[in-house]
Amino acid sequence: MWHKRWYPAFPLLLPGGMTSTIEPQNAATRAPRGALRRPAELRRNIDVSGLVDAEGGLLDRVIFTDQQIYQQELRRVFAPSWLFLAHADQFHKPGDFFTTYMGEDPVIVTLDRNRRIRAFLNSCRHRGARVCRADHGTTRNFTCTYHGWAFDLEGKLVSVPNRDSYPSSFDTREWGLVEVPHVDSYRGLIFGTWNPDPVPLREALGDMTWYMDAMLDHDEEGTVVVGGVHKWVLEGNWKLAAEQFATDWYHVNMSHASALMTLSGRPPKDEIVHRTGRQYVDPKGHGAGFPVHPKNRFDANTVHKWMDYDALRERLGDARVEGPLTNGHATVFPNFSYLPVNGSIRVWHPKGPDRMEVWAWTIVDKSMPPEVREAQRLYNLRTFGPSGIFEQDDGENWSEVQAISHGFITNGVALNYQMGLGTEREDGRYPGRTSELYSDAAGRSFYSRWRELMNTPAWHEEDE
Amino acid sequence: MKGSNDTVSTATEQSPAAGTRSRAGMRADRDTHFAVEQFYYEEADLLDAGRYADWLDLLADDLDYWMPTRTNRLRRQQAQSVAARGEAAFFDESKESLAWRIRRFDSGMAWSEDPPSRTRHLVTNVRVRHVDPAEHPGFTEDDLLARSAFLVYRNRLEREENVFAGTRTDILRRTGENFRIARRTILLDQNILLAKNISTFF
Repeated sequence: MWHKRWYPAFPLLLPGGMTSTIEPQNAATRAPRGALRRPAELRRNIDVSGLVDAEGGLLDRVIFTDQQIYQQELRRVFAPSWLFLAHADQFHKPGDFFTTYMGEDPVIVTLDRNRRIRAFLNSCRHRGARVCRADHGTTRNFTCTYHGWAFDLEGKLVSVPNRDSYPSSFDTREWGLVEVPHVDSYRGLIFGTWNPDPVPLREALGDMTWYMDAMLDHDEEGTVVVGGVHKWVLEGNWKLAAEQFATDWYHVNMSHASALMTLSGRPPKDEIVHRTGRQYVDPKGHGAGFPVHPKNRFDANTVHKWMDYDALRERLGDARVEGPLTNGHATVFPNFSYLPVNGSIRVWHPKGPDRMEVWAWTIVDKSMPPEVREAQRLYNLRTFGPSGIFEQDDGENWSEVQAISHGFITNGVALNYQMGLGTEREDGRYPGRTSELYSDAAGRSFYSRWRELMNTPAWHEEDE
Repeated sequence: MKGSNDTVSTATEQSPAAGTRSRAGMRADRDTHFAVEQFYYEEADLLDAGRYADWLDLLADDLDYWMPTRTNRLRRQQAQSVAARGEAAFFDESKESLAWRIRRFDSGMAWSEDPPSRTRHLVTNVRVRHVDPAEHPGFTEDDLLARSAFLVYRNRLEREENVFAGTRTDILRRTGENFRIARRTILLDQNILLAKNISTFF
């Protein structure tokens, strides 16, 4: 069994810190709602069964353009799923914080006084302004600059100007920051979910962890973040990017032809274009593809030379070293993706049906000496990131697809996801089911999972 | 002879360490300032015309070309709002790596610029001083520390538009009558890059 062979025992705790689980008091959040009741008209749901034909490999383009479908995604895909928040290396001492988004919800991720990683909705309980407008930093509390309500690192409301003007029933304990009920981490990657009763993170990742470990588990020390996050906007639906990183090696030779020529000084050789590999197809919508070659290697030469491939083969096995450790692409459903050879990890933040924001970190092995880290950082920023010779062309593709997709006729023409139809199998070398390198299998699975979540009422709909 | 009177307004800024005739840190004279401005306008023309190979000729072999990301920080941590060396940057380049990036355009398959964008590099607020070698080892008083502001407009395909505004701090090395850009630090006045990519240079 793969599980027994490959999964070492590992703690879910951060080095020097813990992740958190809180008891939610109410359906959607801890926040009391008094007599407030949301009318059903505000959350009309669309049955999306007919928009994804995962079995036939066809997709209705309306899932990239419709506002109502988008709102339903925020409710039923983003709110219940484990979403990537940050890397553990961004938090070293109590009060270190990082602000990000879960779907379109702004959150503060912080290390509290007990060194627990916690995440809070970045919105004052009084009038709703953000209580933290810095990207990251260190603080003792979060003070709203509108009326001055202040919250400590545990989210408690600790200061209310003119408190005496509130009725005696006003209890500050009920007006702390809304907390993300579950925060957990996997090998330094911190995820959170609003779902009060989620499948545990480790279980939600499933066999995907075997592939993730090819990037995250080169040795005992794990990974650290190179300072800073690249952030940029893209006029495209978030799924275009998430899907591509799950399933699409196919685009590499055409979209990135100029970059491949730049790297090698000539057009890609036939053996590159026709190379073979595998694509992991996860039933929960994750996906990972990678060429397989006995001499797969890191592209940045300094990194390649530093890598102890014998030790890696010993630790992770030949299958990983010759595949996902040294090349490839991956998405953890719904919107976290990575490129193992670059150490590029990124979130596709949804910003409406027609727009996303890309937030990309570079991670390196903690054990790398400074010159190797630097080589990896420079390689990544010159290839991926908004000025990268590869990434520039990805941005062009997605905005191009989106720009025309509102046309009535255009929107109704089905898109093709039939490559590698029926090729998924268990091959005994890779955990779970895999398909060919050039395949849409993980894409079909991604949309199948999306369809399932879109048609399943989330916890917050039960009590409404 | 010409131009030497133009340093009058800054004569009092002369550093005590500098000798009486030293130009270290002094504002450049009018002719020099004019030459730098013309150099920048010609550079802008090369970039707008997509003549990147010619643009490379303006760069010194030991070029350091750096465009860090910028973050929103609490006011008391504002000093850290520009990413440090070794952290996230849009560009962190040598002349060699820029040449490598530019080779991409020669492939005929650089789709993000095919069809090409229309760009306009506007350069303004130019201030030029002589380098103080005490602050910039390896350079001489003949070399120039030039600060400028830029506004780059990109118009792409049918109606895509981007505006990039920011500042550049350069060290221009004198090579006879010409200059070579030896150092360039670019600060873009954006937090989240409001563009799908950066396919030009600044």
